[in-house]
Amino acid sequence: FLGAGGGNDIQWCFSQVKGAVDDDVAEADIISTVEFNHSGELLATGDKGGRVVIFQQEQENKTQSHSRGEYNVYSTFQSHEPEFDYLKSLEIEEKINKIRWLPQKNAAQFLLSTNDKTIKLWKISERDKRPEGYNLKEEDGRYRDPTTVTTLRVPVFRPMDLMVEASPRRIFANAHTYHINSISINSDYETYLSADDLRINLWHLEITDRSFNIVDIKPANMEELTEVITAAEFHPNSCSTFVYSSSKGTIRLCDMRASALCDRHSKLFEEPEDPSNRSFFSEIISSISDVKFSHSGRYMMTRDYLSVKIWDLNMENRPVETYQVHEYLRSKLCSLYENDCIFDKFECCWNGSDRQVGFLPPLHFSIVMTGSYNNFFRMFDRNSKRDITLEASRENNKPRTVLKPRKVCASGKRKKDEISVDSLDFNKKILHTAWHPKENIIAVATTNNLYIFQDKMN
Amino acid sequence: MLGKGGKRKFDEHEDGLEGKVVSPTDGPSKVSYTLQRQTIFNISLMKLYNHRPLTEPSLQKTVLINNMLRRIQEELKQEGSLRPMFVAASQPADPLSDNFREAQPAFSHLASAPLLPAELVSTMPLESCLTPASLLEDDTFCTSPAVQHDGAAKPPPPALQAVKDSFSSALDEIEELCPAPTSAEAVAAEPAAGDSKAQPSESDKPEGLPEGRTAEPKLMEPLPGNFEITASTGFLTDLTLDDILFADIDTSMYDFDPCTSATGAASKMAPVSADELLKTLAPYSSQPVTPNQPFKMDLTELDHIMEVLVGS
Repeated sequence: FLGAGGGNDIQWCFSQVKGAVDDDVAEADIISTVEFNHSGELLATGDKGGRVVIFQQEQENKTQSHSRGEYNVYSTFQSHEPEFDYLKSLEIEEKINKIRWLPQKNAAQFLLSTNDKTIKLWKISERDKRPEGYNLKEEDGRYRDPTTVTTLRVPVFRPMDLMVEASPRRIFANAHTYHINSISINSDYETYLSADDLRINLWHLEITDRSFNIVDIKPANMEELTEVITAAEFHPNSCSTFVYSSSKGTIRLCDMRASALCDRHSKLFEEPEDPSNRSFFSEIISSISDVKFSHSGRYMMTRDYLSVKIWDLNMENRPVETYQVHEYLRSKLCSLYENDCIFDKFECCWNGSDRQVGFLPPLHFSIVMTGSYNNFFRMFDRNSKRDITLEASRENNKPRTVLKPRKVCASGKRKKDEISVDSLDFNKKILHTAWHPKENIIAVATTNNLYIFQDKMN
Repeated sequence: MLGKGGKRKFDEHEDGLEGKVVSPTDGPSKVSYTLQRQTIFNISLMKLYNHRPLTEPSLQKTVLINNMLRRIQEELKQEGSLRPMFVAASQPADPLSDNFREAQPAFSHLASAPLLPAELVSTMPLESCLTPASLLEDDTFCTSPAVQHDGAAKPPPPALQAVKDSFSSALDEIEELCPAPTSAEAVAAEPAAGDSKAQPSESDKPEGLPEGRTAEPKLMEPLPGNFEITASTGFLTDLTLDDILFADIDTSMYDFDPCTSATGAASKMAPVSADELLKTLAPYSSQPVTPNQPFKMDLTELDHIMEVLVGS
C-alpha cells in the first residue's frame, strides 16, 4: 500500500481491541458512533444502550518508541435513557446517533451527544485533588462542634485518585419531530446544527429553550414526501455555510446569510445517473449516508451505498473522484434489499491532517476511509489512486504485525486467500470509522468491538 | 448466504433476479424483468407493514420503499398491464390521519382480518374465488354502511353473499371491540400475475369505486374486470405517509410468497386450510402484539371464515 511520494507508505498494524469477546452480541453494546476529539487524546464511542465510553491515550512512553500510547477507558456514562412517546405509543430509542467534540477551552472537555430526539452537552472533568483540613468539618463531612475548635488551619488541596466526572450541562430537547441523524458544530464554536429527516435547526450552545429552523423540506402534504435529509455538516472555515445530503443522492450547500430559512440552496451537487447502471435500486443506492468536508474546506466527501465520492465545492455537476467500495454487491442488490442491508448507513472519514508530502507539484497526504461488510474496511489514497481492503478481526491481533490486505472475488475462480461474495458475512458490518486528527491511528468499530490500528513506526 | 432472513423461496429464479437487471424491452427476458419487478413489489409492501412495532420506523426507509412502489406502479400503469392490485379504500384527509394515528391499535386488528382473505383469494383458483379482497376490505374499513363495491372479479353470487355476511359480521364484532377510525386503510397486493389474464373475461360491468372511496377521481378509468391502479401521485394515495408510519399492522397472516404468486394462474393451489394459516402465524407469535385479546378473537373468526370459504 503506497502513499504519495516521500516515503509515506502506511503499513497498518493492529494495536488494540475493546469490547466483549463474545460472539453473542448484546444489543445495547452495539457501537453506534466513534469520534476522536480535536487533539486525538480522547476517543469517544456511543452505543445502542445510550452509553458513552471515552478512551484516553496514554502519554507516550519515551522508552518504548515503537508504539504510541495505548487507549484506556477514561470515562463511562449513561448519556441517554429510553423514553416513551405517549402520544404515538412508541419508544424513543436511547441509541447514540452522533457524538461531536467541542474544542478544548479549559481543563474540562465538552462533547455533544444525541439520540433520535434530544441533544445533550456533556462536561467531562477531572478531579485529582481534594481539599483537606477544614475547620468546621471532619474529613468524612460531618460537622464538628464549633466549641471544640481551638485552633484554625488553612485547608489545602491534597492529591487523590483520579476521578473523571461527566455531567450534563445543557439539554436541547423538543425541537425535532423526526429522527436526528446529524449534529455539527460551527466554526464559530458558539452554535451548532442538528438535522433530522425533514428539518435542520440551529442552536446556540448556551441556549436550550430556543432553536432556529434553517431548513425545512417537509411538504404540506406528507403524501408528496419523496426525499429526506440524511446528513448535514457545517463548513470547517465558513461559519455561515453548511451542506446537507438527501436520500436522492443530492447535496445542497446553503448560506445562512442569504435568508433566515435556507430553503433555497446556493449550490446543488448532483451527478447524473449512469444509464448503464440503472436498476430498480438506483435511487436507494444513491441515497447518501454520510457527508464530510475536507480539512481545507475545498472538498467534501459523500458516501452512498456502493461508493465514496469526492466533490469539489466549485463543481456541482459531478464529483471529481469516485471510489468503488464494494462494486461486487451491485449484482446482489435484490437480496440486500430483502434483508435490509441496502439501508445500512456507512460513514466515511478523511485522514487526520492534510500535511504536505510533495512540493512540485504540491501534494497533500490524502486518504479516505470507509467500512464494508465482513468486517472489512477500505482506504483510498487520493494521490496514488491505490486502494486497500483490511479486516478488523481478533485473528489479526498481534501488535506490530502488519495487516494483510484482503480481496473479494466477485465471480469466477476464486484465488487463494480471496473471499467469494457469497461467503461474506453481512451481519458483520463496519459502519463507523474515525481517523486520529494528527497521527496515523484509526479507530474502526465492528458491531460491538472497537479496533485501534496504527501505522508501523520504524 | 447473504445475511439472515427467511428461507430463500425463489432459488430457481435467482439467476433471473440477481446477476443482471434486464430492461423491459428485452424480449425473452421480459418475463424475468416482470418477475423481478413483482418480487420487489411484494418485498416492498411487506417491508412497509412488517416493521418493529415498538419504535418509530425510519422515515428514510419508508420513503425509499414508498418511492419504489410508486415507480413500479407507474411502470405498470404505463405498460397498461392490468394487475388486480387491491387498492386501499377511501382517502383520508389530514385530520383523519391524526385520528388514525390515535386509533392505531384498532387498525391493526382491522388490517389483520381482511388481509387474510386477500391472500386466500390470491392463492385459490379463480373459480372458487369467492370474494375479491378489495370488496372485503371495503366492508372492513368503511364503517359507513353505504359502501358497496361490486368488485372486479365475478364470484358466484350466493357464495359471495355468504362470505360477505359472515365476514362482515365477524368484522362488526371486531369493530365493536375496538373503536375504528372513520376510515381506515389496508393495502393488499395481489401478486397473482396470472390472475390478470382471467380477470378481464369475468366482468362485463364497468367498474366504479365504492362510495366509501371519497377522493380518487384520478383512478376512475373503468377498466373492465380489473381493479383500478391508484393514481400516479403514489401507490399509497389513500394511505398517507403518516398512516404508514404510525400504523401498527399485524401482517403475520399475510404470507407474501413470491414464488407461488409469480407462477400465477398456472398454479392449481389447494385452498389454504386454517391449519396452514395458523402455522404461518407461529413464527410471528414471538412478536409482541400488544392487544392480544382481539388478536386471538381474530383467529376464531378466521377459522369460521375459512370454513365458509372452503365450503366445508
